[in-house]
Amino acid sequence: MSNCQQVRTTEVVRLEIPALPAYVGVARLTLAAIASRCGFDIEALEDIKVAAAEAVTNVILHCDCSHVQIEVEPCVDSGYFVMRVSDTGGGFCADKLEKPNLAEPSEEGGLGIFIIRSLMDEVEFHSQAREGTVVVMKKRLPNQLEDCSCQ
Amino acid sequence: MIRFTESTLKDGHKSVALIGEADIYTANTIKERLFQAVAESTGDFYIDLAGLEYIDSTGLGILVGVLKRVRERGDNVVLVNPQPQVRKLLRITSFDKVFLVKEDYHE
Repeated sequence: MSNCQQVRTTEVVRLEIPALPAYVGVARLTLAAIASRCGFDIEALEDIKVAAAEAVTNVILHCDCSHVQIEVEPCVDSGYFVMRVSDTGGGFCADKLEKPNLAEPSEEGGLGIFIIRSLMDEVEFHSQAREGTVVVMKKRLPNQLEDCSCQ
Repeated sequence: MIRFTESTLKDGHKSVALIGEADIYTANTIKERLFQAVAESTGDFYIDLAGLEYIDSTGLGILVGVLKRVRERGDNVVLVNPQPQVRKLLRITSFDKVFLVKEDYHE
């Protein structure tokens, strides 16, 4: 069975985990398992794992939420593997975040969003005050899927 | 999950090997162990990353904390043999310019 037959556009995976550190690994490994069906190489799978974990970790650290919602579209018409990490926290403005000083890094963090942007091909933040934030992270699908009929 | 092994190198420097994953779940355990090892050490401080399969910004923040403590006494932190994905994160954050990164202890 080819990758194209395994993953269809209509296959959307939804996962909700408690906003607790113990569950970050669960999200990471689940998303890597889904992404591995799309033919990503090991480096890309690691990128996806780290980006997803950073987004979930941000929710745990910065939102007063009980749960984190994760939605994955493994193979969409746009040719991207798409992950959405959502929370119901206070929201924030990603554009107003200070860029990390990489020459004098802080042990307090501040690298999470920088790392997400570095590892993923496209990243969007949709945030509303007191309504929460959705982080959309996209990774271009490997070449062998670009010509297949995943739609 | 994270495990540690500590050793003393021939030149007397301390090395701590991290085995497993460095993320928000293991962060406090790693921080406690490394900061204690730094306090008990003299000279350059080695962190063996050969067995570290995963790190994210939380783990990197701990490494920065170790670096600050070691530099306060005028020494360096040496990261030894990071796996490819860990090395990639060190590169994109430019931490490979902030830390000494070596392929092995003899480099």
